[in-house]
Formats: sequence, C-alpha cells, structure tokens
Amino acid sequence: MAWTWFHRLGSPPYVYRLAQRLTPWFAWSAGIILIGATFDALVLAPPDYQQGEGYRMLFIHAPSAWMSTMVYTTMAIAAAVGLIWRIKVAHAVAASCATLGATFTAATLATGMLWGKPMWGAYWVWDPRLTFELVLLFLYLGYIGLRASFDDVQRADRASAVLAIVGVIDVPLIHYSVVWWNSLHQPASVMKLGTPSIAPVMLIPLLAMFLGCTLYFAALLLTRLRGEILRRERAATWIREVLAS
Amino acid sequence: MSEFLHMGKYAQYVWPAYGIVLVCFLLNIYWARRALAQARAEARRRLAIQKENE
Amino acid sequence: MSALATAVLSPAAVSSPLDAARLVVARDLKLAFRNREQIVQPLAFFAIVITLFPLATTAELSRLREIAPGALWVAAFLAALLALEFLFRDDSQDGTLEQYALSGQSLTWLILAKTATHWLLTGVPLALVSPLAAGALGVPWEATPGILAGIALGSFALSLVGAIGAALTLGVKRGGVLLSVLVLPLAVPVLIFGARATQLAIAGQSYVAALELLAAMAVLGVTLAPLAAAAAVRISLE
Repeated sequence: MAWTWFHRLGSPPYVYRLAQRLTPWFAWSAGIILIGATFDALVLAPPDYQQGEGYRMLFIHAPSAWMSTMVYTTMAIAAAVGLIWRIKVAHAVAASCATLGATFTAATLATGMLWGKPMWGAYWVWDPRLTFELVLLFLYLGYIGLRASFDDVQRADRASAVLAIVGVIDVPLIHYSVVWWNSLHQPASVMKLGTPSIAPVMLIPLLAMFLGCTLYFAALLLTRLRGEILRRERAATWIREVLAS
Repeated sequence: MSEFLHMGKYAQYVWPAYGIVLVCFLLNIYWARRALAQARAEARRRLAIQKENE
Repeated sequence: MSALATAVLSPAAVSSPLDAARLVVARDLKLAFRNREQIVQPLAFFAIVITLFPLATTAELSRLREIAPGALWVAAFLAALLALEFLFRDDSQDGTLEQYALSGQSLTWLILAKTATHWLLTGVPLALVSPLAAGALGVPWEATPGILAGIALGSFALSLVGAIGAALTLGVKRGGVLLSVLVLPLAVPVLIFGARATQLAIAGQSYVAALELLAAMAVLGVTLAPLAAAAAVRISLE
C-alpha cells in the first residue's frame, strides 16, 4: 500500500497536481505563523539579561542557519535519488532547492555579522563554523552556476547532482565544528540531546520561527517544483489540462 | 514605542537584520512565482509549436 | 596518440588494471614532455603570484615572513587551478577520454592514474620550487622540509579534489571561473591545514600533526575523488 504512494511520487503529473493543491496550505500557514512568531520575537519575548535587546537576532539567525543546512541536505538527497534511480521528479526537487538554500545561507551570514559586531566586536572572524557556512554559500553558488552552464536540462541535472552529493560533507562540518574545534561561536543549545538550555518564553518564538520557515520553504519548493517539472516534460496531454487550470 | 524602535541601543543591528531577512523572504516569493510563470509560458509555447507540426 | 589509447582498451593487449594504469601514465608523461607549457605555465604563474605579495604589501622581510604561509598557499592553489585545466582537456577533445570510458577498464582507476600523473607533473615541481619562493618571502632555510612536504601533500589533495571540478566543467565553454567556484569549497580544508603546517614549519615548531591531517585528507581524496570524477566524466561525455 505504501509502495503505490511512493511510486506515484515518481509520476510528474501526480506530483504537479499534488504540489498545486498543497501550496496554498503551506503558504498561508507559513504566513500566519511567521507573522505571529515575528511579533513574539520582537515584542513579547523579554530581553536577555546578558545581551539585552540585541539577542533578538537569535530568532532570525538560528532558523536561517538551520534552514541553510536542511535545504542543502534535501537538495543532496533528492539529487542522489535522481542520479541513482534516474527519477526526473527528484532532480526537479533538487533544482527547486538551490536559490532558496542560497538565500537562507546568505541571510545566515548577514544576520550573523550583524549579531557578531555588537557581541564579539567584529563583523567577521575566520571561525570554523562561519568559514564552513561561507563554504556552503559557495557550494550553492557553484551548484547554480553549474546548472546554468548546461543547455540540456538532463545533463545539468546529473552534473549538478554529483556536485551536490560531494558537497554534502560540509553539512556535518558546520554542525560539529563547534564541538570539534575551540570556536568563538556558541555551541548548540537547542539541537542537542536532552532538554534545551533556553528559557521557554524564548524557546517558543524560536521554535515557531523554525516551523514557519520550514512551511515557507515547503510552499516555495512546491511552487518552483511545478515549473521544474514542466521544464522536464516533453509534450503530454496532462500538461495541456494543467495549463488550462 | 521609541524604546521599542531603539531596541536598547542595538537598533542599528537588529532592524537591518530583520529587514534583510524580510527582503530575502519577499524576493524569494517573487522569484519562485516568476519562475513558475515562465515555465508555464514556455510549456504553452512548446505545445503550440507541437500542435502546428501535427 | 590514439594508438596508445587503443592499446589501453583492446583486451588482448591489456589484461590487468595495473597495465592499463601504466599505459595511461606513460601516455600522459610522454604528451606532457612534448607540450611543455603544461608544466611551465603553472610554475610561472606561481612565481608571479608570489611576487605580487611583496609588491602589494611590504618589502620588509620580517613582515613578509608573517604572511608567507598564506601567500604560499594562495599562490599554490591558484597555480593548481590553472594546472587543472590541462587534466582532461586534451583527452576529451581528441576522444581519448571517451575511449577510456568505453574500455572495459574501471574509469575510476584510470582517472586516479591520470590524476596521480598530473600531480607528478604539476604538484611536485610546485613543491620543489616552493622553498625558493618561501626564501624570497623571508622564510629561513630551516623551514624547507616542512614547506616541501606540506605543499607536496596539499597539491596532491588539490589535484584529487580538483579532478572532480575539472570533470564537471568538461563541456562548459569558458568554464575556468566556474571551476574555481566548484573546487574552492572542497579545497578549503586542505588550504587551512596546509597553511597551518607551513606556519608551524616557519616558526620552527613541530608540524607533524598538521601534515598527518593533510595526509589523511589525501587518503580520503584518493578513495573518493576519482569515483566522483569518473561519474562526472561519464555525465560530461553523454
């Protein structure tokens, strides 16, 4: 029973229609949660006893960072699935992740710099975690550039899949860099085993932001996915129907 | 209100940060929708050409 | 040249992967000595980049010594990038690469042979020249073994990792800049530990640990990079 559903995920028309139906749900819930979370983050949450109002950066920096690696992992897994089992839909998913992931990474670096200046005194330090996050940005940009250099979509899919898979080693480097090296960057306080070491009144807007960002990513992924599926399909009757809707 | 805008002397960092993220979010929505619209237009063109060739 | 390539493939002539690799290495070495610019250009580029540092910063040797590790590795990295263009280019143009892929031999193994030869032709000369460059930047002669070993190991790792980028950008016109963008993420650990090893060598401290990390990266590269490069070559040849 589960296998038929899985099989259908390989079918472009099924996925296209599913994406079309799901997108509004993700989009609206993302919007509501993000607006609520932002309000919570800026207004309701109390100031930190150490960093004062400046800590509010956490509510956009941490979710961006988490999304930047999560999106890359999604992209790499989709690319691997597409490469190994030759599933076009998987390649389409990988292609849809790229710009979003790059933006999250750039936002992480930018918000990190704006947080680092008041707290550490410097916009940038060549700290392991920051360096590997910058490397992640280069990986995204390289992926996008490599895709753009091919005229044939299928070759672009396969070449960029190799790059995505090879680059996935950066993700654990980012996460464990604060464990393996003496880092200026704060170690994990949420994503660790055991109870988070952060007050609930601050944890809630943070988790809400995570959730909102994930829903936002899902909505935009499904939007781009539809376009990417269309690009990879030669004429088929289902396209005619879908374009009319 | 002015205290809120002031963000306890961190205003010059907090507001640009939130601003950048907001801009990124909005840009991506715009880009994604435009990409979809372009793909649909391309598909229409391809179908039209095919219909002509039939 | 194609005769040498066909010799690699006909099962009658070649029975073992080792023979195939030997043929690939011999062919690449022969071709390189006929077109010597492959060896000379990266070295010249290395020398030019090194010269830029004192021109752009300071002529004071004591201060140059401080930036020497970084300068040496930046120059080595850029020279390696330039050299990577030669790795697959000629073979893909005259169809030899396609023959390698179609032969019964493991493409991964053949690519490893090609990459190792490429390192012999570009990385090793670079390593041999680097102590001279270091001397020009005010580095004491005692640091020579450390610098030599570091750049030798590091350039090997860079060749391996760069092969992936070179294979991915095979069909791309003006793919040089894209190649740099693709290789950089994978090269960052090599650069970090390589510069660290050189820094320790210059300071007269023990650099063995950093060298061991570089060696570990090279080993990791040997096992994984040719595989990815072979996959990329097959994709580019379609």
